[in-house]
Amino acid sequence: MSPIDPRLQEALDGERDPGDLPLDLREAYTRVTVATQMLKAPPPVSVASRVMAEIRQGPPPVLDEGLARRLLHWWLGRPRAVTVRLRPVWTLALAAGLATVLFLQWPTGIQTPGVAQGIANFVGHFPGARSVEVVGSFNDWSRGVLHLNDDDGDGIWHGEAVLPAGPHEYMFVVDGERWVPDPLAGRYVDDGFGAGQQNSLVIVRPASAQP
Amino acid sequence: MNWQLVLALALIARPAQLRAQNPPPNGTRLAGRVPAAALPAIDSLIAAAAAESLPTEPLVQKALEGSAKNIPADRLVNGVRRGLLQLRQARAIVSHAVPGQAPPEGHVAAVAAALARGLPGPVVERLITVAPDEPPGPALHAAADLVAHRFDPDSAADLLVEAHNKGLRGVRLLDVAVAADHELQRPGGRTPSEALAHVRAMLPNVPTPARRP
Repeated sequence: MSPIDPRLQEALDGERDPGDLPLDLREAYTRVTVATQMLKAPPPVSVASRVMAEIRQGPPPVLDEGLARRLLHWWLGRPRAVTVRLRPVWTLALAAGLATVLFLQWPTGIQTPGVAQGIANFVGHFPGARSVEVVGSFNDWSRGVLHLNDDDGDGIWHGEAVLPAGPHEYMFVVDGERWVPDPLAGRYVDDGFGAGQQNSLVIVRPASAQP
Repeated sequence: MNWQLVLALALIARPAQLRAQNPPPNGTRLAGRVPAAALPAIDSLIAAAAAESLPTEPLVQKALEGSAKNIPADRLVNGVRRGLLQLRQARAIVSHAVPGQAPPEGHVAAVAAALARGLPGPVVERLITVAPDEPPGPALHAAADLVAHRFDPDSAADLLVEAHNKGLRGVRLLDVAVAADHELQRPGGRTPSEALAHVRAMLPNVPTPARRP
């Protein structure tokens, strides 16, 4: 630690006029004096104190409604560059999901019929049945494709499907095991297996020809 | 759209499109569904139909239907064989009705279906002759509907030929059969011939039935 110049010490002690000091000592005197005054000043308010003060002041003033709407409009309408970073595996999964929705037909859903298609309605009265489905030439006689519904539990099961226009043979399968012709079909054809059982026959009209 | 998404869509969409255009071969559709005991005989019947340029889809459907219904193998094979015989009979009828050209598969399948519904061969042939270039299915089903409701087959064919001559085509011919049946059911007891005469008088303005709700 270098010793302080006696003339500077005398000025700081008030025993000498600082104006009499040489230029370098006068600058040192000024720095020391300013530093002393800063140390004497009270400490700044702490962060916690400022937060508590804000809380005590209550909520900030509400923005003018028009101004808020303009700000919102500006914020929503302002173009922004958005960067989405996806792993390829997620991209492929997303694409597969989209393709499923776009290109595959839900078997139980009803769609808009095309030019050579029409809507077939199926209704059957099967009180107490647990399930009723329609199996026929339009679905390769496959089970589990076209289920009828009885949402209100009144025993009347119904459903509809978009099918190619033309004739289709079918039967109802009740509770997964009982094959029953549609009593409302109006058209029947022997199934050809020698037991005298009949299939129901529906002739689907093209949607353009349906009333 | 990033390239990975485009590539994935192309890879997934293209095979789906191809599947829609080209149904799987019959062997693939039958394998695993038709009992093994019946499969060789059914394959043989379907191959015979293909070799004779007959439509095979009705036979495939009959095999799938019998399998779904758990029909015993011998009856299943007989059912498919009966279908093949009907297709041969149908082709003979179409060839006789429209000589000089190869019988269209659609015509043959529609005639076979009409025969399965019990429509007499001569009535089928007459209806095809009236409109050889039109799909015969609706007229044949309309005639089969009338016969199923106790109308005389020849009288039914007369009515449908007249309806065709007055401009009714396709599914509108089915409306003719529905109108005749309604006349038959009308209170007051019309006879079948009276019902047909009444519908003949209203041609071509037969009502279109309301869609079933």
